[in-house]
Amino acid sequence: MKSRRMVGAGIAALATATLLLAGCSGGGGNEGGDAGATTGTLDFYTDKAAWEPDFDELNATSAEAVDITLNTTGYSDAAQYDAFIKQSFRTQKSPGLFTWHTGDSLKQLVDENLVAETTDLWTKAIDEGWATEDLRDEYTFDGKQYCVPMNIAYWVMYYNKNIFEEQGIEEPTTWEELDAAATKLKAAGITPYYQTSILFTFQWFQQLVAGTDPELYKGLSTGDVKYTDPEIVDIMNIWLDEQEKGWFSDAGSTVDPAVGLKQGDFAMINFGSFFNGSLDGAGMVSGEDYDMFVIPAVNADLGTTPVAVESGPICVAENSKQKDLGMAYSEWWMSPDAQTAWNAARGDVAFNPKATVNDPMLSDLGTTVADGSHTLFTRYFEATPTPILTVALEQFGAFNANPGDPMPFLEAIQAEADKYWADQE
Amino acid sequence: MFLVAVLLYLPLLWTTFLSFTEYNGLGDPDWVGIDNYVEMFTDPAFVGSLMNTLLWVAGTLLIPVGVGLALALLTWNLPGGIWLRLPFLIPYAISGIGVGVIWSFILSANGALDQALAVFGVTDPPRWLVDAPLNTVVMILASSWQGVGVNALLFTIGLQSIPKEPLEAARVDGATGFRLFGSILWPMLRPLTAVVVGLSIVASLKTFDIVLSMTKGGPGRASETLALTMYRETFVNSDYGLGSAIAVFLSVVTLIASILYLRQQLSQKHEM
Repeated sequence: MKSRRMVGAGIAALATATLLLAGCSGGGGNEGGDAGATTGTLDFYTDKAAWEPDFDELNATSAEAVDITLNTTGYSDAAQYDAFIKQSFRTQKSPGLFTWHTGDSLKQLVDENLVAETTDLWTKAIDEGWATEDLRDEYTFDGKQYCVPMNIAYWVMYYNKNIFEEQGIEEPTTWEELDAAATKLKAAGITPYYQTSILFTFQWFQQLVAGTDPELYKGLSTGDVKYTDPEIVDIMNIWLDEQEKGWFSDAGSTVDPAVGLKQGDFAMINFGSFFNGSLDGAGMVSGEDYDMFVIPAVNADLGTTPVAVESGPICVAENSKQKDLGMAYSEWWMSPDAQTAWNAARGDVAFNPKATVNDPMLSDLGTTVADGSHTLFTRYFEATPTPILTVALEQFGAFNANPGDPMPFLEAIQAEADKYWADQE
Repeated sequence: MFLVAVLLYLPLLWTTFLSFTEYNGLGDPDWVGIDNYVEMFTDPAFVGSLMNTLLWVAGTLLIPVGVGLALALLTWNLPGGIWLRLPFLIPYAISGIGVGVIWSFILSANGALDQALAVFGVTDPPRWLVDAPLNTVVMILASSWQGVGVNALLFTIGLQSIPKEPLEAARVDGATGFRLFGSILWPMLRPLTAVVVGLSIVASLKTFDIVLSMTKGGPGRASETLALTMYRETFVNSDYGLGSAIAVFLSVVTLIASILYLRQQLSQKHEM
């Protein structure tokens, strides 16, 4: 009996030692060997697992240009990824390069001094004309910059070209024309717009508020405007009216939105300009089967048309052993060569005006929004503090599923907003 | 003991400590006393989540346990009974997420079920995963589809372990059907029933994966369960303090339910 107990204790001790050793060692192949190095293999973590092949494709170009290749680990669950990154800062394994979010999420990392400052990289990029001042603002905290943009996307309206042609509809240039198009489509038995009850539930609210009054939209993100203010309620009632007209697809459908647009479940979808990749993947041809237009402002008196923009950053952890390597890659990433290669790999709008974009549709979009008749505003996802965003996404999803009196939905969001802003005082 | 301390007690203590703090996963936690618990119990969505969880407990006791018992009784001693139980057992090999994916395909708007109903002229079917509490009910049914087989198997093992003598004596006395079940089988199955029901209660209190994959707790928070609320607050909202408070509450409820149930069952066993 005693010997059995000793064997058991031995196994337990061995298991413990193994666990401890496993905890002390890491999975990366660069353990401790590349502090200060500016060439080599850079461990890169991203929540965009589907983009992993695109990052891998970029390795040939980066190896030649700066002798750095990415060892990419992709997560497909955003919440799991965020938790992993946050926990990594408490260890010796904080990443040399990782994707994150702008807005409140990035501010949290900056406030805790967890990400490396990139002011010098931004100064060079602005001097070279590689990035715009507007974009730099998204990465600026107390006058300093952190992280660099991984990508940029404008939130526009995609539409099925065949449906538009069959119904004799031209790309709307005013809100009235957009309403007329939706009315015509509905009369023909075609659902005008896509909607869902999960995650991407915010875009129509974002579009209606910013397109009515950009200052009102900005006020929501600073707490100066309440979700229950009459102006917001009026806007929600516009949305409700459109819901009651049957202009939106079934929020309970789990059909891939790209497939839905292709098979005509709906004619239009308000989405980020990265949606090209999904539509191409669904077998639609850019410019032939689908196209896009900037959504006109609700308020025709606005001098410029507001366009929602999102920019996802790539960041370097301040205490990473690969900090110098990550910073070297970040510097190269902003260059026209890197962005041209990235756009060839991913098919995306370029944040660098000097990069070459292969897809004419995306190239035109970049030119259009920069023509002086448009104003960029931060996407709702990044503009809204995280706790308020979580509740808002759920409430907009519930509204999409069961459209009705907007007040209960708005009151639920405002209750969370009141709590959040009270904590900030 | 060291492993138990590292793997069980330390996380438990750390979670309990976090439940009294405000913490976003970065920097150091700030002590806030019982604020998280007050916030938790005054949140109407938490109450909704609690009610959904109770619905899960009731549902999984009624359906997988009840149907499992019925299936075991109907196929017990039946020639080829194993072939009747086997199809019910196969879904148990699928993960909860897998079950969720399969049933999402069936129950989503314009999904397989709606298309099948359309063949029979039903053009306006119920919104299975959208309307509450229908969405919770259909998810309980989906979960039952997975759980019936293993319960039937456990009850069959219980039935086969009953000694033949009392059964034969009862039959000689003319007991059949419900009389045989109520007077002989049910009392003799009690130890196994205690285990099956106990496991079902614990499993339903921590219902998570199937709801996450089918509705993500929505629309809004209409189909959320306590485990999903804990996940939402901790990992989606980065409110580790509130998430920990919910985890502590869920653990305490599960422990109390298990202890009360098992104590009651054990005392009944002594009375027999």
